Amino acid sequence: MNAFKRDKKEEEEGGGNPFQNIEKTTVLQEARTFNDTPLNPRKCAHILTKILYLLNQGEQLGTMEATEAFFAMTKLFQSRDVVLRRMVYLGIKELSSIAEDVIIVTSSLTKDMTGKEDLYRAAAIRALCSITDVSMLQAIERYMKQAIVDRNPAVSSAALVSSLHLTKIAGDMVKRWVNEAQEAVNSDSVMVQYHALGVLYHIRKSDRLAVTKLVAKLTRNSLKSPYAVCMLIRIACKLLEEEDSNGNSSPDSPLFEFIESCLRHKSEMVIYEAAHAIVNLRRTTSRELAPAVSVLQLFCSSPKPTLRFAAVRTLNKVAMSHPAAVTACNLDLENLITDSNRSIATLAITTLLKTGAESSVDRLMKQIASFVSEISDEFKIVVVQAIRALCLKFPRKHSVLMNFLSAMLRDEGGLEYKASIADTIITIIEENPEAKETGLAHLCEFIEDCEHTSLAVRILHLLGREGPRTRQPFRYIRFIYNRVILENAPVRAAAVAAMAQFGATCPDLLPNVQVLLARCQMDTDDEVRDRATYYHSILEKQNKALSNHYIVEGLQVSVPSLERALHQYTLNPTETAFDIKSVPLAAVTPADENANKMAANAGGMLITPALPGSKAAVAAATANTVTREETYLEKLRAVPELANLSISLFHSSDPVELTESETEYVVRCVKHCFPEHLVLQFDCTNTLNDQLLENVHVQLEAPDGYHIVRSVPCARLPFNETGSTYIVLQYPDELPASVGTFSATLKFLVKDCDPATGQPDSDEGYDDEYMLEDVEVTLADQVQKVSKTNFGSAWEEAASTHSELEDTYSLSTMGTLEEAVRNIINFLGLQPAERSDKVPEGKSSHTLYLAGVFRGGHEVLVRAKLALAEGVTMQLTVRSTDPDVAELVTSTIG
Amino acid sequence: MGIWDKLTRLLGLKKREVNVLVVGLNNSGKSTVINHFKSEEERSTEIVATVGFNVEKFRNKNVGFTAFDMSGQGRYRDLWEHYYKECQGIIFVVDSSDRLRLVVVRDELDLLLQHPDVTGRRIPILFFANKMDIREALSSVKIAAALGLERILDKPWHICASNALTGEGLQEGVEWLTQQIRELVSNK
Repeated sequence: MNAFKRDKKEEEEGGGNPFQNIEKTTVLQEARTFNDTPLNPRKCAHILTKILYLLNQGEQLGTMEATEAFFAMTKLFQSRDVVLRRMVYLGIKELSSIAEDVIIVTSSLTKDMTGKEDLYRAAAIRALCSITDVSMLQAIERYMKQAIVDRNPAVSSAALVSSLHLTKIAGDMVKRWVNEAQEAVNSDSVMVQYHALGVLYHIRKSDRLAVTKLVAKLTRNSLKSPYAVCMLIRIACKLLEEEDSNGNSSPDSPLFEFIESCLRHKSEMVIYEAAHAIVNLRRTTSRELAPAVSVLQLFCSSPKPTLRFAAVRTLNKVAMSHPAAVTACNLDLENLITDSNRSIATLAITTLLKTGAESSVDRLMKQIASFVSEISDEFKIVVVQAIRALCLKFPRKHSVLMNFLSAMLRDEGGLEYKASIADTIITIIEENPEAKETGLAHLCEFIEDCEHTSLAVRILHLLGREGPRTRQPFRYIRFIYNRVILENAPVRAAAVAAMAQFGATCPDLLPNVQVLLARCQMDTDDEVRDRATYYHSILEKQNKALSNHYIVEGLQVSVPSLERALHQYTLNPTETAFDIKSVPLAAVTPADENANKMAANAGGMLITPALPGSKAAVAAATANTVTREETYLEKLRAVPELANLSISLFHSSDPVELTESETEYVVRCVKHCFPEHLVLQFDCTNTLNDQLLENVHVQLEAPDGYHIVRSVPCARLPFNETGSTYIVLQYPDELPASVGTFSATLKFLVKDCDPATGQPDSDEGYDDEYMLEDVEVTLADQVQKVSKTNFGSAWEEAASTHSELEDTYSLSTMGTLEEAVRNIINFLGLQPAERSDKVPEGKSSHTLYLAGVFRGGHEVLVRAKLALAEGVTMQLTVRSTDPDVAELVTSTIG
Repeated sequence: MGIWDKLTRLLGLKKREVNVLVVGLNNSGKSTVINHFKSEEERSTEIVATVGFNVEKFRNKNVGFTAFDMSGQGRYRDLWEHYYKECQGIIFVVDSSDRLRLVVVRDELDLLLQHPDVTGRRIPILFFANKMDIREALSSVKIAAALGLERILDKPWHICASNALTGEGLQEGVEWLTQQIRELVSNK
């Protein structure tokens, strides 16, 4: 007691963090006192605290240091001081992964865990499991089994949780403890029951039937522990989701009934979990949703802030998928706007924004503005996202929202927050032409005082793209040139590029831009100078075509491919100059595809509460847009027979299913287009566990003109694996013949094998074949999309250099212009330019511009004039550098 | 605690506390020996193979012993050295019926004696020629000869035959050890 008082006094004198200035080496030095006899428990506990503090601060110990500290610590087992011993357990757990020979404390811990002192037992179990490896587990298994069914709930819980951790290293061993865990589920302690359910679920998790049985049994005899019920709800949800994805969902499944019955549970935690589960289930209909929402509504007026927060957060998410259901709660949400907890208020307002009517927008925005400076960045981003959704919903409100956003831009905030605002403004500009000028003005103002280089560069690029086409382009030049004077090198370089865009697009501004660029040539940074010189000399030529190609359009090849091609070129020096046409073009990701991904992510967030998961999804999404061709090319190169094929993979199609998804063998085809060759990649999956397939190949009946150059079989295809077989074809000389249909048959040698081991029963096999659906090679497979920023000038320019073909078609099956536009784009595989793929509402005619490159590097430009009158009439004009290509395009449409 | 400590030390009433290390090959009876020294109610009924080490406390003639009962299994023997530095006495338990492994015992003993934390220190070593009840057990004299104990000149040592199951011979050994430690401390 005395000591305790002194401790307290020291703390007060020191003030603040007593561990602020401790150092690793000193502390480890001090740890030597652990070796003293007799021990001073109080001092040792203090030193141990320091070590633990350091470790938790992220300090790294070397193996030597850790081992030394660990062995010093083991000597503390001689003390009978309870506090010290419990600190030792913590120390053991922390050091168990770094130090060597941690096994030394096994017996000491086993003794504590089976001993009489209850204060030691639980903690000793946890420490013991952290030092035990698979080989030692056998020795402690008996003790673990006893501990799981121990009468002391703390001991039982510790043993169960430790078993959960042990499943990672010794799943099979833990499976043998199922009877003990089963017994623990019947425990009276809420925590033991919860932990036991966790262990049981983990043991059976891979066996669907066993999980179903477990859930069915536990739902019948109600569990006492609310935690366990929550867990059960989650398991039930998972089962329901799996049922749905397997396509055999029944409308009134007992699982769903169970979840619904939990809405009437007496514990608030369970009620919330059930409501949350129902709301997030994909299958939930609005009728089933109603009770869950009304429960959440009730929570909204709860005196407990956590409940209010949970309810409003769930409502906020569900507002996207079921706005109608949430509208019922509008009144309660209104009350929450003024909640003293800002997080709750923010979520309430954003939910209202999502569900509310146009008329209430002004009022709500005013309300947010009153406290936006008090909430954290994370919630500000939620607000921004709500505003973004609102802008798309009510385009007429853009001025109010835009003003609000610009005010937010001016506030303090981190990069992520600012980037989300800039993103929102950019989306608004793109979606709503009326908002463009004000949006650009706000962004201009923002970059005047922007500390984030990446954002400034992005906005400058946007100004360069959009600015020249506004009514008064000269207004933006001043903002851009200010950046050249004031900012760091990357921003200056971006500003120079943006100015050049103005010079290239607005002839009346050209002289002024030239003067400014000339000044930039004096810059201190190499990149800025180079860019200025480059743009200046191109603009000087006053050649429309030249500036179109090299300023407005920019680089269209994919950068990683270019890098590799150049690397190859420098490795094998040749006489010929490097041909940029041989480099594959960058794949264009259509804007709506991005939007789909965003939607998918939003959907994903509804299902999985974990935000990091959806971030990973975003990362994955961006990663796969970069290089589909690249990844395929890597794969093709790994096949020795195909390696000598020309390096320039021109275009790869999406995989096409050639079989039904539920058949014995699943085959997908990817068409790889090279300048002279077509490579068909067949990804085959063997779904029969008693068969081993060998020499898998596809027999193809090629139409006239095509030559099969080579077929690469897949040597071995065991159960549940995917292998690829390839066929290389040479394109016919006549272009029209390159579009056609191939009938394909999968041929292979079957060897029956033992399902358990996968070893074939005998070396004898028999030949078999399997009919596949036909493979179609279309025009779209042979073109790569290219985005043209300024289609008009490219089109004009092409009039003289390209050959032109024109034809008129009547598309009688199309009911609307949108449908026609979508079909034409899919059919030709070209990239719509100048957002001409969006048909304004209420128009009866539309012009679609498409651009792309045919294999071999022939440019294709297409103008399709569409008119709606009893079906759609289309006048199609094709301009291409190769007359044959133009002919092919016009002929395929018909 | 502070004041009371000082008072007892002043009056010379303070009980001595010493650390002893219990080593020996696996299955020689180390844990059983230690178990016997504990008071009746603290004794455990079954002895299992020690993994790593165990700390046990017992008293003899006003001296408190803290025994580090080390695991004797081959893979853990090199962990003994971590505890050499702090011990004031060593109890070396030998299975006197296991003639085959006497050479291993001798090797381990040599390693121990050559360790920098042990050589040069006057640490008393007590040998228990354990399992004397078994018929083919060697006598303590024969064990001493087999281990070459006569070579140990700089440390006091003592060997006594024992039976840890009944406790026979253990008391004699530990009394010798207590005596030695008392002398060592008072000579300091």
